[in-house]
Order: sequence, then structure tokens, then C-alpha cells
Amino acid sequence: MAAALAEDHDLYGPVIDPPGAEPRFDRVEDPAAVRLEAAIPYNPPKSVIFPQAERIMSYTYDRAARRAEIVRDDHVRPKALVGLRACDLTGLLCLDRFFLGQEFVDEVYRDHRKKLFVVANSCVRPFPQCFCVCTDSGPAAREGYDVNLTEAGDDYLFEAGSVKGEVLARRLGLKDAGPGAAALKARIGEAAVARFDAEATQNKAWISRVMNRVTTGFVSNDIWEYIGDQCFECGACSFVCPTCSCFNIEDVAARSGQTDRLRSWDSCSYEGYTRMAGDHNPRQPVEDRRNKRFFCKLSYSQSRKYLRPGCVGCGRCVRVCPGDIGMSNVVTYIRREIAKEGAE
Amino acid sequence: MSAPRPGVIVTVPEVAVIDEIKDEIEDVRTFYFSFENAEVGRRFRIRSGQFVMCTVFGAGEFAVSLPFSPEADRPHLSVRQVGKVTRALHELRAGDKIGLRGPFGNGFPFAELKGRNIVYAAGGIGIIPLRSSIVHVLQHREDLGRIILLYGARSSKDHMYRYMIDEWRKIPGFEVHVAVDRAEPGWPGEVGFVHTLIAKAAVPVKDTTAFVCGPPVMFNAVIQELLANGLKDEAIISTLERHMKCGIGKCQHCAIGRTLVCTDGPVYTYKQIKTLGEQI
Repeated sequence: MAAALAEDHDLYGPVIDPPGAEPRFDRVEDPAAVRLEAAIPYNPPKSVIFPQAERIMSYTYDRAARRAEIVRDDHVRPKALVGLRACDLTGLLCLDRFFLGQEFVDEVYRDHRKKLFVVANSCVRPFPQCFCVCTDSGPAAREGYDVNLTEAGDDYLFEAGSVKGEVLARRLGLKDAGPGAAALKARIGEAAVARFDAEATQNKAWISRVMNRVTTGFVSNDIWEYIGDQCFECGACSFVCPTCSCFNIEDVAARSGQTDRLRSWDSCSYEGYTRMAGDHNPRQPVEDRRNKRFFCKLSYSQSRKYLRPGCVGCGRCVRVCPGDIGMSNVVTYIRREIAKEGAE
Repeated sequence: MSAPRPGVIVTVPEVAVIDEIKDEIEDVRTFYFSFENAEVGRRFRIRSGQFVMCTVFGAGEFAVSLPFSPEADRPHLSVRQVGKVTRALHELRAGDKIGLRGPFGNGFPFAELKGRNIVYAAGGIGIIPLRSSIVHVLQHREDLGRIILLYGARSSKDHMYRYMIDEWRKIPGFEVHVAVDRAEPGWPGEVGFVHTLIAKAAVPVKDTTAFVCGPPVMFNAVIQELLANGLKDEAIISTLERHMKCGIGKCQHCAIGRTLVCTDGPVYTYKQIKTLGEQI
């Protein structure tokens, strides 16, 4: 399948390279290098359609001739993203709803997205870091894919989720899985959920209760200050998050009189994030900024833009945070506060 | 949320020509512009209180409020040089070109002002974003109650739009009060901070909407005075500024509370501002 997609798409998927390395999402030249069975990659797949840095336009201004020419960079190659686990697929849907919904469509994202072929990979068992069952984003993929694969013994169930997916199925000459396939997928999904207690041991996150708290503002300042103290302001949580999408835009002088307008990932944990010209910064203390990130993930007002919580339970921020404020930990701190009040 | 109105320049800036530059006060200039493509200019319809993203070629892009009125006014930007990009803008001369995207943001309420008294309280260059509404409202005086401008700055040299204010004084029914913070030789007008003008102008409370814009100290003093006089939170309107990159609700730099200044603002009632939970 990967080989068929690679014929007319740039192929991206989980790879383990060199052998023994941590799995990562990357451009794949050899379709055989895609490792569907790999553990969840340390980087999210968002960079495929929302690159860490990209040129969105370039311009020249000939001041003597008073001539300005602006060229939009909209040449985007078709890409296939293979092996997205349900959390990352849900993250992609969050980005879709955020960038393509609301008042304005983000045209840069749209150009990438409309040429993307998505192959999901429903999880049959969790990894230790996972908590997608707490965020309602897995382990099985439910929507938003062109193709969904579910490992069933030695085979994969292949589900087409779009016309593009059906065309691929015909092209590959797949045989009908028969009337029992849906029930089989459901059984595999239930079995995967049942394994969470024993196998996803690193994280638990009672998101829904905490969302209510964060939304209504009833989280004590002590908690936010503790979170602020724990934050190294490194931005890693933002960069590994499948739904973090803040970006910066800068005009950078390129060759001979041409200027490129670059957009690149940004993080609300950085001190300069809200600093205005003239050095006025309305959001100074680090806890203000941390508060912002968790508000973004866990408040109803932001959820309206994603049509779900902003956290998809992939557990990457927990692994990457040099402090102790990955999502599931923060949720636990807030939940403990709720529990303590209940006991009083 | 509604779809963007036709004519809004979303992603790629449209080129505009700087037709004329006027020195206003120290570090502030007004740039009169017209779009290179006349059709773009015709489709560029603003509401007062909106803003644009202005590209200075080679330097970058910044967000700036629109000072001109949607009706019968000449398009321009009034900009203080304060950072890298605005300093580069000040280097430009008439005939130079810039890029513009927008207009963005919600804009000041206008329809619901009918029959009400209107007070503008501005400090320093805070009058720039209010100018649009003032000029607009003055064209509809017959539909409104008292119209009052309370404007103050550090010294008379810091008064923006002096030539405009002189014209405004001549308009019957427009009560214009201009002050300097400290007495200076030859200054014939009021002396004192803007909030002290509220009593001097006998600002009415009933059926009054106040527009407030200025530096945080002035802003807070004016708000406290208006509230003390009995004005309701929702009758006080302001416009906020934030660091912005996209203008269309995606980059998130201007997030404040649960809102984005670019798409939910920049115009907020004081009632809303109080719930944002962040500094102005």
C-alpha cells in the first residue's frame, strides 16, 4: 500500500532509523521502511502539513523604480501520511477544525491539507505513555482518515474512509473482508481499551472533571504558580504536541533583494511571545504563560474551536518536559485539589 | 462567527502607494495611502475600530488601527515609530509602497449608539483608533445626543491631530475639551489628567456610551472616574492592542483570556475586559 501511495505522493510515516533509534515521523524514500508496528513516534506528524518553518510568500521591492512584487508560495506536493495512530489522527482533526474553521480559513494550511492522504493505524494495545481513553481520542480511529488499518492477527483490516481511500482499495485489488469485519474491529478495539489499566501505566488523566475547573477559573493560584515554577520555558511541550499550532511570522532577507516571509512554530511559554514593540509585555510572569497553555488545552472556550478537548492523550509532553508539568501531571495536580476540597 | 466580508485581504498583502506623509507629533507620522489596484481599493471597506496588517517591504509586518472613517474620509495610517518595522516605515517617503492586509477585527458599535450621548476619552496617541469613530459619528450628529471629546496629553506638543481638533471645535454641538498634564506658558486650555475632564465637561450618565483609549494609567483612571459617576461596565468601550502576527485568528499571539484580539476584538466593552483576567 505504501508503495502504491508513494507513486504519486511524498510518503511520510513512522520510521526507526538507525535500527534501535526511537521511532519518528519522517519523510520515507523507501516504502518498505514504514514501520506500522513502531511505538508512537516522539514527534507528532503535524510538521507534514504545518512545517516547523516554511516560506509562505516572498517579495521584492525595487525602491528606485517603486515597484513591489509579491509572490505567494503555494506550490505544495501531494503527501501521504501513513501510520497515524488514533491520537495523532485526532490531533490532525483538531488542526483541521482550527485552521479551516472559524471566521477565516488559513490558506497556507489548506493548501497542504487538501493534498494530504491520511492512513490511520488503529491501536490494538496501548503504550505506557498513553491516555487516549481519557481524552476520547482512541485507541481505535473513528473518523477523518482516507484509510484506516487495524491489525487483526497476521492481517490488517483495511477501511476506506473517503472516496480517495476507496479508489486506493480498488487499485490494490483488496478482497472484501466480509460481513464480520465490523464486529471484529469492535472486538479488537474493546480488547485494546481493556489493556489500558495494566499496560498504560505511566499516565492517567481525568480530563473532563478538570476541564470544568479550568473553564470556570476555579484553579487556585498556588497550582498555577507551582506549574510556573516547574516550567523551564523550553517550548518542548508545544513542539511535540499534535494540536499546538501557534506560529510566528518573520520577513527575512533572502538573496539579491528578495525577502521571504517565513512562518515557524512558536510557543506561548516563551517570554517574547506577547511582547510588543516598545517592550510592553502584558503577560509577564511565567505562570501566566503556563496557565495559557493549559487553558488552551482544557477550557471549553478553546474546545469550541476543536469540537473536543485540545489534548489527545498521546503523552508526548509528559515524556519531553524537563520539569514535571506534562499534561497528565497537571491534570493530576488540579484533580488532587478538587479531591482535597471534597474531603474538607 | 461569520464568514469574512468580501474585499478583506486575508493572506497576501495588496500593494498600496504612500501618497503623502504628514508629521504629527514627535515620532508619529500620518501616511495617506491608496491601493495600487483601484479595484482592490473599491472593495476595501472598513468599519471604524478595525485594524490592518501593514507590511514594510524588507522589514516585516505590524498590526495598526485604522484612524479613518468608513464614510467621507481619506485612507491613512497614523503610526508612532517604536520598533523595528515602524521605524522602517518612518524611513519611507511619498511615492514609496507598502503592503496591506485586512481590514480585520470587530470594530466599534455604531448602530446601537442611536439616541445616546457619546463621550470620547483619549490620552496621547490613544486618539488614533478613536478618530475613526469620531469622524464617523460626527456625520450622524442628528441621530445622537451630546457628543463630547475629552483629550489629554503630556504637553501641547504631544497633541495628535491638532489641525483636526481645531476644526472639530467649530462644529456646533461637538463639545471638545483638550488638556495638558501640566501647565505650560501660552497654553489656553485645560490643565490636568483626562479623568479630571469628566467633571469639567459635566459628562452625562444616563444613555451615555464612553469610548476610552490611552496608556494604561490614563485608561484605569478614566474608567474609575466613569464608574464612580455611575456609568455601567457595558457602556464603556475600548480597543486593545496586542502583539499580532496573522490578524486572522490563527497565530494566537494576541490571545487574551478566552478571546483573540484580532477576531473577537480589538473592540471590547469594559464588562468584557474585566473578565479577560489579564493586564491591559
